[in-house]
This record gives sequence, structure tokens and C-alpha cells, in this order.
Amino acid sequence: MTQSIIDLHQPFQQRVDAALRNKYLKTALSRATARMTMQRTTAMGAIDGQTLRNQVRQMKTHVIRHLPDLLEELEVRLTENGAVVHWARDAAEANAIILDLARRNNVQTVVKAKSMATEEIHLNAALEGAGIRAIESDLGEYIIQLNHEPPSHIVAPVIHRRLEDIAAILQRTLDMPPTLDPEAMCALARAKLRQELLTAEMGVSGCNFAIAETGTVCIVTNEGNGRFTSTMPRLYVALMGIEKIVPTVEDAFLQYQALCRSTSGQQTSVYLSMTSGPRKPGDSEGPDEFHVVLLDNGRSRMLAEGYGEALMCIRCGACLNTCPVYREVGGHAYGSTYSGPIGSVISPLLSMAVTGADQLPHASTLCGACRDACPVKIDLPRLLLKLRSDQVQHGQSPLFDNVAMKSFVHTMKSRRRYENAGKVASLGTNLMAGLAGGNLHYLPPPLSAWTESRDFPPFARKSFRELWRERRSRRGYIAGGHR
Amino acid sequence: MTARDDILHQLRTALADATLPFPPVDPPPLASNERMTVTHAAGDPLALAERFGAELQKLHGTFQIVESLPEARMALIGQLLSWAEEEEAARKGAQLQTGQERKVLSWDPATLIVPALRDALVDLNFELVTPSDLRSDDARDAVRYIRYGVTSVAAAFAATGSMLMTTGPQTSRAASLLPFRHLALIPFHKLYPTLEAWLHEQRGAGTLVDLYREHANLTLISGPSKSADIEMNLTLGVHGPKFVHVILFGQRD
Repeated sequence: MTQSIIDLHQPFQQRVDAALRNKYLKTALSRATARMTMQRTTAMGAIDGQTLRNQVRQMKTHVIRHLPDLLEELEVRLTENGAVVHWARDAAEANAIILDLARRNNVQTVVKAKSMATEEIHLNAALEGAGIRAIESDLGEYIIQLNHEPPSHIVAPVIHRRLEDIAAILQRTLDMPPTLDPEAMCALARAKLRQELLTAEMGVSGCNFAIAETGTVCIVTNEGNGRFTSTMPRLYVALMGIEKIVPTVEDAFLQYQALCRSTSGQQTSVYLSMTSGPRKPGDSEGPDEFHVVLLDNGRSRMLAEGYGEALMCIRCGACLNTCPVYREVGGHAYGSTYSGPIGSVISPLLSMAVTGADQLPHASTLCGACRDACPVKIDLPRLLLKLRSDQVQHGQSPLFDNVAMKSFVHTMKSRRRYENAGKVASLGTNLMAGLAGGNLHYLPPPLSAWTESRDFPPFARKSFRELWRERRSRRGYIAGGHR
Repeated sequence: MTARDDILHQLRTALADATLPFPPVDPPPLASNERMTVTHAAGDPLALAERFGAELQKLHGTFQIVESLPEARMALIGQLLSWAEEEEAARKGAQLQTGQERKVLSWDPATLIVPALRDALVDLNFELVTPSDLRSDDARDAVRYIRYGVTSVAAAFAATGSMLMTTGPQTSRAASLLPFRHLALIPFHKLYPTLEAWLHEQRGAGTLVDLYREHANLTLISGPSKSADIEMNLTLGVHGPKFVHVILFGQRD
């Protein structure tokens, strides 16, 4: 089971079916998501978690309101610190900026720290297309890169693989002797990657948050690969979505602690790497050049279309771990870099080519568990409903839905029509159920969408209104006697 | 229009729309006097040192607390010797030698407070490496398999067992990153109850912003490098140090 499970370009329904059929995936997902949810609730319960969430929300709300000013402040500070700031409207522009830097500096190898933004723009493919090696250095990302898979979780990229699968991948690709010992696998990856981390000419990371008042890019890691990426190569490039900004150092540490607790139940991550500029005179290490690429890629449009609340996301993954849909199908079924509830909201809004992105807002039970887990209290169910509603406004809903809704409204407007429709439905379904011997196993299209995965019970032979009228005529004194 | 102007224009146009459902028109900023302190610690320096140690232990690090500088020096030497013995036993003399078995990548000894450290280590057959430049291939080869790193801290926080490092000519980032085992010296006067207490002091003194801008990099470290990527199994020493030992030293008051 080491080949890729799901083809991201298949239709949405096929991806979901493939995920649901895969019992290994189910094992891996249930082991990991339950544990991460437990860690998060314990860590938030150990402190005044409600106040922390309220304060992070208040801070981020303020950030989105003042986003253009904060971006300008960040740019000024970074430039004063000796960094170079670039702006990219979309993925193509961001890739072109990074490729140009690599080419001008004769870069052969790029080492990368885990970054969802670089996944969003498909940077690795762009680099490899130009003949430049891109090496993922996060342990999980490294494993899926060896197996040519995309990440399936915002913070736990190889969550969809069991221990046994990972061992098989490492045996096949790195000639690892057979073992199920995670320590041995980790030691092997450390040795393989150390060479790359010390010799690559360019390091690329994302950015968990950038501090406007100081011009500082912060990355949060546990392994130390983020530190290598930002310290050892000659060039260091950080790619950040334009929303990943905080005003002050204190705001950064507030968000940092909410992020660590929500992601993995840690008080703090092992490393928080805060880079303000290239190396200073006399420093023994650090990049000669530090570049920051600010990426829009649909974010300003997201704000303009009323989805600004989703820009407060700090990418902790808590909503994925708690979502009953994600826990069943995993990340790849969403077909996007961003999965789970937040992925269902932002994937259709960002400028990303996701097969079946318009179906993602429907991949939710609207149970609200994501909103309760979110450290920024983002109202994800509301945003999902808004997306559905916007689809209807834009005439994107299926023809059947339109016709069905119109006839429903027409029927409900008159008692006579409503009762007659009920009689027809009851007669029809009971006739068919009689033939089928109980429930209906098949309905003609488009109603077959229902019966493909579950039975349909026949309508009651008598409607509530009929029963009520009969009851009143039999025992009229109840209705008349007491009122 | 440049990408920069285009993006800023789009954002400003969107935010100027009075009917925009989010964000609200004038959301209050988070005032500094209402900002919460997430974790708490209190007590005299010794109590804070003990708390730091307890938190570090939860993160799979180790620690010891001593009273004086000479004791800190002894503790450091003792720890390096015991680590070297451990490594020697693990190698069993069978594996290829890298020539880096007794090298210690260190901050400039002058920043470590502990007196005559270099001489003491040389006497014990350790070599102290304090790189002035790690840019060249040769320099990197010289520390590729480095086993030990010795540093101090800019500040340390008891409630989370965290250490703050500021990069500078005498305070190498690599010393806490490349080695397999990291030893850090923390004098009591660098120990704060919480991150927030340190932030408050720096902001009050008007030095916080300058501190960030005068150093190319600041790093917060809490315990040894780790990952849970392999099916949630905890593995230590993924890229950074697998062992972190902290020596806290100073007087109770």
C-alpha cells in the first residue's frame, strides 16, 4: 500500500469513494486525529483557553481591518533590516520571482521547510521544471516526497500513512533495512538530509507570522529543519500569504502560544525561528540574502467577496482533526492543498486549480465542531453556508435543485396543492414499496442520487393532517371541550 | 500597475466598502494592559530554576542546579565527559571515526561566563570550535558530524522551559542546532517566570524592537528536536540536538 491512494484530478465523488474504501487510511486517520484532538483540548483546558481564543480573534480582526497599512509597515521594516520584499499577485508571479532568484544565483539545490503556501503555488514542480532540485526537509514532507504524494493535513502531512506504510516507502526508496522502529527511520532521514541542509544554496520556507513593527518573519517547527533552512544556505526565501501578519512582538507570542496549543497540545514548539534580515557583519552564519515574497493569490478577492473572516486562519489544523468528514475521508479526497473545513472554505476562493472545488462547501454536515475547535473562533459553518448561497445566487446550483426548490415553494404556498402532492407521493411510493417488499431500493434519476447509498422509506399511507381530521371527527369533544 | 500597488489597491478598495460583512468598521486593538499571560510561574530564583527544570524534563531534556560558577564549570565538564563515555560505548570502536568525536561547537567562551573553560576542555582532550565563519564548504565539513554544542542564553523562561538565543558574532546559531547534544548554561539572572514577563520588561525599557532589529535572528528553543510525523510516534533528534542538558546556576536571592 505505498502507491498514491487517490488521484487528485479525479472527480470529487470518486476521490471520496476511493478514500472510504481504503481501510488503511481509516486506521491511520482515526489513530492520529483522535490523539491530536485530545492533546488540543487538554492543552487549552490547562489555561484560560476561552480568553486566549477571544484575544487572538480580537487581534486578528484588527489585523484584517488594517491589513494594507500593516503590510506597508512590514515592507519598510524588512527593507531597513536589509531584506528584499517582493509582491506576487498569483502563483505564477510567486514562482517566477523565486525561480529568477535561483537562476541568478546559480542554485542547484533548494532545501525547504514545511510550507503550505509553497504547496499552494506548486513551487516544487516549478523548480524541478527548471532543473533545480527541491528537497523537503520536514520528516513527514520528506516521506511523502519520496512517495510522490501531496500532503494530506495542514500540519501532519503524512497522517494518511500507517507506520507499516512508511517503513515500506523508506525500504523501497532509501534501501532501509526492514524495521518498524520509528527511531531508526528518523536516524536514517537525519543522516540523508543533513548533507542537503549543509550544502544547498537556497532555503525556502513559509511563514507562520510576520511582525510588522520589527520586520521579522517567524517560523514554528519541532524538528529544526526550519532553522537549518533559514540559517545555512546562502539565500533564504520566505513565502507568506499577505494575511499572515501581526502588529507587535507581543501579538506574535500570543498567536504563537494559541497555535502551538491548538496544533499539537504543546505549550511552545521546540523551535521558534525569528528572522529579521540577512547576516550582520561578524555573524558566523546566516544567509547573505534574505527575500520575503508576499503572496495574494485570491486573498484580496476573498476579503472583497465577504470572506475576510477566513483570512484570520492561523493554519493549526484543529478544525481538520475534529471534523467528522475529514476523519472519514482524509485530506486527499478534498483534492486541494488545504483540506478539512478551512480547506472547503478557502480552496474555492483562492486562485487554485482544484478539481471539483465547487463541491467542497457541500462536504460538511455543518455540525459546528470546527468552529468550537478554532483558536480564532472562525465561524466556518457560516462561511460554508455563504459559499452555498453564493453558488445559488450565481446560478451554479444543479438544474434539479433549482426546479425542485421552485416546485417546493409553489406547492407549499397552497394547502390544496400541498395535500394533493402528499397523496400522490404516498400512493406512488407505497405502490413501488409494495413491489420492492418494504423500503424503496431504487428511484429513477435524479432521485437515484439518494437511493444509490441508502434506502428510501415510503410515505405514510395517511398524512398527519388526515389523521388529525379523523381524530377530531371521532372524538370532537377533545378539540372543542377543553379550549 | 505593479503587483504591490495592485494588491494594496484591491485591499483598500475592499475595506472601503461599507457593506463588507467582515471585518467590523473599527475593531478595538488588543490593549497591552488586557493581554493575558498564558502560562504562569512565580517564586525566588531557585524556585524558578526548579520550575524551568521540571518543564524541560517534560520535554525530554535534563537539568541540574548549582550555586556557584566553579560548580557550574565542574557540572559542564562532568556532563561532557559522561556524554563522551556514552557515545564511546555506543560506538564500541567498530564504526568509522569522523575525527569530530571530541569537538565542541561553542559560543565564544567569553560569553559563557564560566572561567578558563577552553583550557579545562583541552586538558580533557576536547577541542573547542568557535567558528568565525561557517560559509565555506571546508568550515561546514569541519562541523558536519559535530557531537557537542555549548551555549548560554539571552533569556530563559521558567513556565515553559524555553531558552531565547540572539544571533551575533560571539553567539553562533549553529552551536544549538548542528550538534547531537546541546548543553546550555543559564545564570539565574537570565531566568524570567514567563515569556510575557520578559516582553514586559523589554518593552518597558524601550529595547524590545531594537533587540529584534539588531540581530539577524532570534530563536526560542524548548527541549530537544522532535517529530511525531511517523504515525504519532515521538522521535527525538530529527535535525537538531537529540539531547538537551541545562545547567542553571546562581544564588537563591
